Order: sequence, then C-alpha cells, then structure tokens
Amino acid sequence: MKIFKYPTLKETLYYEEMKNGLKVYLLPKVGFSKTYGLFSTRFGSIDTTFVPLHESEMIKVPDGIAHFLEHKMFEMENGDASDAFARLGANTNAFTSSSRTAYLFSTTSHEKECIELLLDFVQDIYLTDENVEKEKGIINQEIRMYDDDPDWRCYFGSIQNLYQLHPVKIDIAGTVETVASIDKDTLEKCYHTFYHPSNMMLFVVGNIDPQQTMQLIRGNQENKHFEKENPIQREVVNEPLEVAQNDAILYMDVTMPKIIVSLKINDILQVPQERLKRELGMNLLLDIFFAKSSSLYEKWLTDELINDSFSAQFTQERDYCFLQIGGDTLYPDKLKDKIYDFVRHIHDYSISKDDFERLKKKTMGILISVFNSPEAIANMFSRYYFEGVMIFELIDCLNGLTLDDLNQLKDLFDIQYISSFTVLPQNQSQK
Amino acid sequence: MENVYQMSGYTLHLIPTQKFKTMTISLRLQSPLSKETTTMRTLLTFVMMAATQDYPSTKSLARYLDENYGASLSTHITTKGKSHVINVTTSFVNDAYLPTKENLLEKQLQLLSDLFYRPLIVDNGFDETIVQLKKKELKEKLQANKDDKFSYSLDKLFEYMGRDQVLGIPSTGYENEIQKITPQQLYQYMKKCIVEDEKHIYVVGDIPENIVDIFQRLLQFPEQYYDYPSAYIFQSPRHELLEVIEKQDITQSKLNLGYQIQCDFTSPQHYAFTVFNAIFGGFSQSRLFQVVREKHSLCYYISSSYDAFNGMMIVNAGIEQKDYQKTLDLIHQQLSDLQNGNVREEEMKIAKMMLTNALKKTNDEASSMIALAYNRDITHVRETSEEYIEKLMNVTLGEIVDVAKKVKLDTIYFLTGKEFHENI
Repeated sequence: MKIFKYPTLKETLYYEEMKNGLKVYLLPKVGFSKTYGLFSTRFGSIDTTFVPLHESEMIKVPDGIAHFLEHKMFEMENGDASDAFARLGANTNAFTSSSRTAYLFSTTSHEKECIELLLDFVQDIYLTDENVEKEKGIINQEIRMYDDDPDWRCYFGSIQNLYQLHPVKIDIAGTVETVASIDKDTLEKCYHTFYHPSNMMLFVVGNIDPQQTMQLIRGNQENKHFEKENPIQREVVNEPLEVAQNDAILYMDVTMPKIIVSLKINDILQVPQERLKRELGMNLLLDIFFAKSSSLYEKWLTDELINDSFSAQFTQERDYCFLQIGGDTLYPDKLKDKIYDFVRHIHDYSISKDDFERLKKKTMGILISVFNSPEAIANMFSRYYFEGVMIFELIDCLNGLTLDDLNQLKDLFDIQYISSFTVLPQNQSQK
Repeated sequence: MENVYQMSGYTLHLIPTQKFKTMTISLRLQSPLSKETTTMRTLLTFVMMAATQDYPSTKSLARYLDENYGASLSTHITTKGKSHVINVTTSFVNDAYLPTKENLLEKQLQLLSDLFYRPLIVDNGFDETIVQLKKKELKEKLQANKDDKFSYSLDKLFEYMGRDQVLGIPSTGYENEIQKITPQQLYQYMKKCIVEDEKHIYVVGDIPENIVDIFQRLLQFPEQYYDYPSAYIFQSPRHELLEVIEKQDITQSKLNLGYQIQCDFTSPQHYAFTVFNAIFGGFSQSRLFQVVREKHSLCYYISSSYDAFNGMMIVNAGIEQKDYQKTLDLIHQQLSDLQNGNVREEEMKIAKMMLTNALKKTNDEASSMIALAYNRDITHVRETSEEYIEKLMNVTLGEIVDVAKKVKLDTIYFLTGKEFHENI
C-alpha cells in the first residue's frame, strides 16, 4: 500500500493495485459519520464500437447500452442490490456519463459489508430475457422525462450541433428505438469487456481505517477469478473538423426562450498534464470574460440580454472538447450576435493582471471547498483519475498558470466551428 | 454540540467542528407568510444581494467575493408552514488552508451587516436601476420555473389544494405583482424586516474563541423578539376530492397527489408518520417505487414526501397519459394495504434504518446541520438527534396503522398531453 500526504490540504491518500489490476484509493475523513464508496469503469455512452473480450472483430452495439447495463447491474441472483444495501441501512445509486459508469453507496454504519457488497454486485452479472424486457418501460420514462426539459434539450442540442460522427451526439440513455433493440447477449458482451478489474477503480472516502479496509478489499478480490484481458480496442472516431449544423431552433410549450452558443475545439491534447492545464486555464479565461465580476456580464445584464441563468462552460473528455455559452434570454438573436462577435474579436480583449490574480484566488477557494464533501471528493477524484490526473495536483497546476498561458488559449476560439441552439415558445413559431 | 447565545436582536447558534475546510454563517429572517408580502419579500432577497455602498454594483460585489477566495454570499427564500423565511448565507475558506491570514470571518460578517445597514440607497429607496434589473430577473426566473414541468405541476397542486389558505401562497411571489413595487416601498419593507422579523444566526466550522465578541462588535439588530407560528396541520374546507386535469404539449404526464394527514412537525404522531412515509414512498425500497416502477414499469420516478410544516403529504410521478387510472389504482391499493396493517416486520426495520442513516448524514454537511437545527428552534422542539432516533425506533406497527388511517386524498393535479381523454 502506498501513502500520499498532502499537508496543505491536510489529507492523506492510500493506494494499492490489486493483483487482478483493480486500482483502489482510500481517503479517511476524520469526524465524518458518512462513508461513500464509488466503483467506476471506463465505459460510457460513447463506447458503442469496440472489440469484445476474446473476439477479434469490432462490433457496433445499440446506443444507450452503457446506461441500460447500469440499470440492470443491480439485479442479483438472490435479489436486488438496492434491497441488500437497504438491509444494511445504506443507500446506493449509479450514474452513466459519456465516458464512464459509476456505482456508489453511502452509509453511516456497516461500512465493511457495504464495501464488499458494492464490489460483489458490480463484479457479477445476472440477466434474464424477462428482466431485460421489463427495464425498457422504466428507461423509456427516463428518456421522456428529459424530452420535456427545455434546459436539457438546449444543452444537449448545442452538443448535437457540433458533431457529425462522434457518439457524444447521442443521448446517454439512447432513444426509445435503440433501447428497444437491446438484448441480454449484447449486454453481457459489454459487461465482460468493460467490467474487467483492470478497467476499473474503487474509491472509498469517509469514516474508514485505511489498513483494515485495504485488507478487506484485497481478500475480497483474491477470492474471485477473472480471465486475463488485453487492452480494450475502441473504434477511433474520425470526426470531421466542421460542425454538423450551424443553427437549430426547437419550439416547445414554454414561455422563456433560451440559447446556447457552442464552439467545437478540434485540437485534442493527449498528455494528461497538458489537458489539465488547458482545462483550468480555460475555466479561468471563461470566468474572466463571463463571470458576474466581468465587464461583459455587467454590460449584457444592463442591456437586458442575459440574466442569472447565463453561464459559460468548458468540456474536455476523452477525445472531444467544446465550449458552451448562453442561458435564458428574451432576445436570443441579439445575444447570439454578441457572443459571435466576442469569438471573432477575442484577441482584442486583453486580460488584466488584476483579473487574472483575483480569479486564481477564487478558483483556489472553490477547489479547497470541494474537500468538505465526501461525495464531491469521490466524484471529482474519479473524473480526474480517468483523465490520468490526481485531484491533489489541481491546486499546484492552478498556481503554475501564467497570463501567457491564458492568452494562448484564445486561439482555440475559432469562429469557423461555432453553432447555436435556440429553444423558443411555440407561439413564436407563427410569426 | 450546539451553543446558544442571546445577542442584540438575534439568537446566535454555534456549531463547532473541525471537519470542514470552510466556515458557514447563515442568517434566517422569519415573518408570517402572507399574500400581501410574498412578492415584496421575494424581490427583497434579489435586490438586497445586488449591491452595498462600498460595492455599488453586481460586478464590484462579485469582485470583492472573488478576492476573498471565492467566498459565497447568497439569499434564498422558503416557507416553513405559516412562516416565510429569508436565508442569507455566506461561506468562506478557513484561514488555516490559505497562504496568508485573510480574516475572512470578519470581512464576511461586515458584509452581512452592510447588506442591512449600508445598502445602496438613493432618495430613500434602493437604487432604481438595480431594482429594475432585479424585477426583470425575478420575473424571468418565475417564467423559467413554469417551463420546468415537474416544479410547475407541483406548484399547481399547492395552488389548488391550498386555495384561500397559506398552503396556496407561493413562496416566491406573484409574477403580476412585481412591477408595481417601488424602490422606496422595498426599502421601507427592509427596514420593517430589520425590526419585525425574528432572527437566528447559525455558525458552522472551526469557530475561534472570541466569536461572540466579533458578532457583538459587527452585527446588531433592534432588541425585539417575536414568536411566529410555523408548523400546522393542513385542513381542507372541501369534503369531496378535487381532481384537476391540465393539458399541455408535453410527452410525459406529471401526476401529483395531495393528502390530508392530521399530523405535523410538533404532533406526537410525527415520528410514526415519518416511518409511515418511509414505508409508503420515501425511499427506493418503499412500496410506491417497488410496485409502480419495479413491478409494473410504469415510471422512472415516483415518491411520497411528508411536508411536516404544512402538515400534509404529496405523491408525485412521471407517467404515460394512458396509465393515469392504472397508476392511481396502484397508489390507492398500497395506501389501503398499509391502512389495513399489512406491514412486514422487515419493511419497518429497513424504513427505520434508512431514516437513521439519513439523519446521521446531515451531520456531514453544514447546510443540512443548520436546516435541522432551525426546524427545531422555530418549533421549540427540544430534542437531540439521539432522542429523535430513539423515538423513531420505538414506533410500533399499531402507531403506523393509526397514522395511515388518517391519510385522506384531497387533491389530484394531473398535467398531461393534448391527446388525453378522461374516459380511457
């Protein structure tokens, strides 16, 4: 077991790789009642074309299968994993993102039993044709719930605008049609390929003793047999540079219009530290130009173009990268023009030393606050882990950023790769 | 454990702990919830946060907070039964984690005081431009809330069920009353709050020894104390069930049910009802989730919630329009099953464990520690978490059946698609 100490944050991290390849990280938190375990695999909604375990040809699986599998993992031969956690007084849940699936529990008692249960239910699969069929009705309602959510439609629509081929353009849950085509065999293929211990990571934070906990996990893993796995081959997407669609409008039964301008970034970095530097730098840059403390925000607010819902965010995942800027507005066209103008002339907007230093302080405060919450630590840890970065590196990376680094990031704002997605009230379609 | 001090015009509650890297200060201002003041009060929470004399714009105030290592400052308005409560909360990093000593506690407390005593005032009213902007922001926020069909349909349930009663008064005000409020009226209203609102302040974090002196020096309110009513038992003037069906162009229908329960936060049956709700629909192991979702695949979400301050219960679910009657039947069946005493020993045990787990978790989050303490403080329920857990554990099957028998469906609000026909 390796021990990493982080004196400025007053945290200690324990790490060990199990013989079967599973990576385990433990972060004890003194004074907390809660223990939170997060078991993640590098398998998300974008992993739809790959070579299955012990096969040699690429296959294409239905969209939404990672999320479907997440729902079905709770089914165990002798009952439901949520019921088993409940008998221990614990809660359990799971979520699927574009690039990973994560299972979690949170508890204030029976920590050891919960950790073993988490490992056991995820490391075994029990599917029947009937239980697969039954899940379809539930997932369809989940999909339809998002259909009526204007914020989600606008957010997701602005991503769909950008990509011609990349599967990030497909909803994490898939569609009612793709869900209908999912069956037991394909689910099992995905499971055996992506739920191998060497593709997974367990993070436990909270009221735990690191030595005893690691020993417990070691024992649990040594009792299980996994076939040897070679590195997983995923299809490399040859996404064209151009956006799929420049502008899109969706009419819904709503009163408040909204717009998101999205910008595709085609230059994808490979080295984890460079990616982290870009992410922190870009977030600072967006804060400097678009946060409440910025002059643009103040101007657009007084011109009644934006309100509190306005935001700018940067997304960088495995092999794609984009920006989104927008929010609720009575004047989506005007706001769009302003944002496009900004992107066109970004090199004319200078960054002052004061703004730069001030927002570094703000970001540092926010990063420190993350360590208040076991859930927040676990989620952030696992997100960065799969990016090849330890969260404790974030503050050092932030401190190392220079004004020059930020100025260079301006080059990524390329007006050629911009698009807009607008949600309008239905009655405006008659105009 | 919590330490309490009577200060000038407010009660100071200290909750010392070293487990957080930040300190949280939350001021709660309580006044009766009324139709006449709900819009004014909501607008105030937007305007008072926008500027002070030292930081006369959203931009300059935001810059000051950035400088203080991203300290937060926010207002939030909510109802607690018959009370309307404004929360003003700030949290900031503990100096121990910063490269230099920043005195953030004193800086943020001074800012809190400035919101009330050094606001940006022109001609005896709040700054006209700021008020105009904030009116627009509030209006747009209310509109955006309506566009979220989940919260819209829940608001509608309260509106119909609570017609002419406090339950029907929206905590965030009426859209059509925003415009007529003047900057002068709003400022007068804030001055009234300074005198007439009952105030509690909670501090959670690594609290310095001289904290009481710091508060005494930096924050005082007029020495007035009030005891406003909060928790109550909802009673309906109607005897028959009210069923409201609204059609919009949507794909998933939202089913919302409101029940009378004859119990609230201060009732002796509060503990039994809490356990009943956990068995009926509070968790994913509960009846509603297990039967309506897991067994019949009719929905993705369904749950019941016990509103202990309005003394009522809600059930909500997102379903297909064709499943309206079927879902209702299943919900009714589960309720009558519990009323008939069909509760398994294990169900009761799991419900109690889940509730205990949920309560213990509140101790790991500053905001939920404060929320829990405040609920007890305004209802004068003197009880530690250990005592609360013990009371839950002692709830018997007989008590659960007793509270279940008093549950009566009062209002159905169903938001559905344009093609819905009632008699299918």
